[in-house]
Amino acid sequence: MSLRERLRAALKEPLVHFLLAGLALFLFFAWRGDAVDPESRTITITEQQVERLAASWAQTWQRPPAQDEIDGLIRDYVKEEVYYREGLRMGLDQDDTIIRRRIRSKMEFLASSELENEAPDDATLQALLDKNPQAYAADARYSFDQIYLAAQDGAAAGAAEMLAALNKGADWQKLGDAISLPRSPEAVDRTRIATEFGEDFAASLAGIKPGQWAGPVPSGFGLHLVRMRKVEASAKPKLAEVRQKLENDWRAQTVKDREAKAYQTLLDSYTIRIAKP
Amino acid sequence: MKYIRLHIHTASLLACGIALASCSPPVPAERPSAQTTARLEEKAAPSSETRVFFGETHLHTANSSDAVLMGTRLMPEDALRFGSGETVVSNTGIKAKLARPLDFMVVADHAEQIGTGREILTGNPLLTADPTVKRWAEMMKGTPEQSRSAARELISGFSQGKLPPILYDRVITAKLVESVWAQHVATVERYNQPGKFTAFIGYEFTSLVKGNNLHRIVVFRDGVEKFGKTMPFTALDSKDPEDLWKWFANYEQTTGGQVLGIPHNGNLSNGMMFALNDFKGGPLTADYARRRQYWEPLTEIVQAKGESESHPFLSPNDEFANFGKAGWDVGNLDLSATKTNDMFASEYAREALKRGLMLEAKLGINPFKFGMIGAGDIHTGLSTSEENNHLGETFILEPSAERAMRTEKRGSITRFGWQSLAAGLAAVWAKENTREAIFDAMRRREVYATTGTRLQVRLFGGWDFSERDLKGNWVKQGYARGVPMGGDLRPATSKAPSFIISALKDATGANLDRIQIIKGWVDASGQTHERIFNVAWSSPETRKVSKDGRLTAVGDTVDLKTATYSNSIGAVELRTVWRDPEFKPGVRAFYYARVLEIPTPRWPAYDAARYQFALPDGVKAESQERAYTSPIWYSPKVAP
Repeated sequence: MSLRERLRAALKEPLVHFLLAGLALFLFFAWRGDAVDPESRTITITEQQVERLAASWAQTWQRPPAQDEIDGLIRDYVKEEVYYREGLRMGLDQDDTIIRRRIRSKMEFLASSELENEAPDDATLQALLDKNPQAYAADARYSFDQIYLAAQDGAAAGAAEMLAALNKGADWQKLGDAISLPRSPEAVDRTRIATEFGEDFAASLAGIKPGQWAGPVPSGFGLHLVRMRKVEASAKPKLAEVRQKLENDWRAQTVKDREAKAYQTLLDSYTIRIAKP
Repeated sequence: MKYIRLHIHTASLLACGIALASCSPPVPAERPSAQTTARLEEKAAPSSETRVFFGETHLHTANSSDAVLMGTRLMPEDALRFGSGETVVSNTGIKAKLARPLDFMVVADHAEQIGTGREILTGNPLLTADPTVKRWAEMMKGTPEQSRSAARELISGFSQGKLPPILYDRVITAKLVESVWAQHVATVERYNQPGKFTAFIGYEFTSLVKGNNLHRIVVFRDGVEKFGKTMPFTALDSKDPEDLWKWFANYEQTTGGQVLGIPHNGNLSNGMMFALNDFKGGPLTADYARRRQYWEPLTEIVQAKGESESHPFLSPNDEFANFGKAGWDVGNLDLSATKTNDMFASEYAREALKRGLMLEAKLGINPFKFGMIGAGDIHTGLSTSEENNHLGETFILEPSAERAMRTEKRGSITRFGWQSLAAGLAAVWAKENTREAIFDAMRRREVYATTGTRLQVRLFGGWDFSERDLKGNWVKQGYARGVPMGGDLRPATSKAPSFIISALKDATGANLDRIQIIKGWVDASGQTHERIFNVAWSSPETRKVSKDGRLTAVGDTVDLKTATYSNSIGAVELRTVWRDPEFKPGVRAFYYARVLEIPTPRWPAYDAARYQFALPDGVKAESQERAYTSPIWYSPKVAP
């Protein structure tokens, strides 16, 4: 095979494509400059480059740079260029594990870098919401009265008697043990109830129908007799109410998906052979 | 709206009318007075509608260079998702979700060259051009031990000011740091959900003098509309906290926003955190005291790297002062210098509070008038504070059968994995879960520290509280006739102050052993004193106070084989009104509460039970978790 043929064959190799693409991207993103001849010691800054510097600066700072700021950007760019060329002269780009890793990281970054500025459309977010409405629903809110019984031996038996008395019309305000918990929470959301009474107690509330005294319901503190007054069930939220959370979740998930997909696409074009000892 | 403002204003007049000097917050000269007035109103506006919020003010992610070198890959977004209750996969691949999400969070990455550690990892040639950095980059690809060695070199280099020069080159890193910080702020904004989960903009100011820790957490009240493009002031700008305060004042003036600083780990400062001289070695002045009190209203006293509230050397009569000392009272942060006994007094919060009274007598203003919170200082991006869900302080301490016995050696000193605490929490009494409400509560010091559990503690100081108050709405009375934790006692109307103190156990945690009041005071000769009063405890019928003031121990139900305990001892709730039996009207004093839970297993004990190994001798396997409230101060100026 002639050298030319060998070169042509090599150029058809996906690995070579990958490396060349990676190197090109590396050059572009790591340095944001044009490919240059590292041998040259002349640095020319074009108007387009200045515009690009200014545009990138404006994106970060939300205003165009002033003249002295532009001068600073150019000085910085020249410094970068000098370092870059010297780096190439030193051969820092040659089969270096760190460069390899840099390219990998930039390739991974490419797959998801657009996401920060990408705004998912309503349909996408609505679909996400429809898939798992519970995760975005506001908490159920409960209004109830509760009587606390310190959970000493026999408290459960005492609770049954008390329950019977209550449902015959006993004055609930005079019953129970003292504790610094609200006796008549008013439209309190489930999360807060879980914080104040413990998760088990909050979970039990869902099973209590308004009207009669019920229980005893255990909490982290002891037992409670509970009279539910009102339950405001968690309604399916509107898109506008939970948009930020949906966007956050969409972004977090999409970053992972895109990285995985981009890698898979590249990987699919490879044949991998592994020799196991 | 008008009515409310008027009401608040009246309250502030009532509270401050007689003794302006001791009541109004000291305000630096550079502050505009209109804002000062507004803040006075806020400060005087506590309300019985406050509820407690638990949060983390000190968490690191892969944006902190030490964290990423140690092996952390999780980013602020992961940290915020985890803290707000989402499922996140840990750095070592453990799927994790908090059973009880946090109410608020400050992702406080080291601001010095923020994000550059990740650039070392991904091999930024500008940085790896330096042979040492290149070596670290290689080590980060190696085993966890190698990665930790690289981190150790970085931390030690940073502590001693001897990093490879390229890492100090802020021209090279400027663009990177700007973009990492902009990204950080944008992420925090996206995760702040008023009413549900508060995410603060903040960072860590990582000042060290030869390895002596002078770190501060910096917390902003503002969202991006005020914060704008502000870049953090870091220890590369200056290590002197006074320069940080200057920058704070400048930030507030330029943006109209608000900011405060929270020093932490006095225990690793080798005598510098609460020193009796300023950073440059000069004497403390009234001006210094005014600025320090104003800009640093809180101190973080318990976190992964030990507890900095009290030390047995300083408080030999305090049988509970030994919490979180093992491994953390032997040297400074990087163990480059060992500890000597003369250093303790200017490291621990209780002693600083006492010395603050002494300095107030001398300077007219107290530089060490701070409230207390707990936090994590976790370096994995995952904030967990409980013993049974401890995900580890650093990458190498993420769950494994070996982590408790991992060692960190330096000279003759060895620190063990098990000595790392499972982090503390900040508890804040605020009206609602928003940046504004929680920040304002921090500023008025209406906060307390816990060692990671969520017990609820209230403290009110006044002049006419009695047991009768406990029968009615005592919280309302507490606010109406007294001041909450963090405040100044109002002018005296009786012979001695009385306090309402209440503690309710963590809804899913351990019962309570006792409530103590810790009183500190300074006598006419300038000598400082402290006394601990047991004021409420479980099973009072069988547990008695001896002549030397000690209370019978609560007992111990811990079964180390299964890492369990039983709430068959202790109390669900403790509540009392306590009147100071030794009050002297002419003597400056402070009072705060410490609440102890019954003994429970520590995280190494849970590890031993889960991974089925025996804990070696010497490992501290259980502890009494606790809460410490911010103090209430008394100044003779308000005496009749």
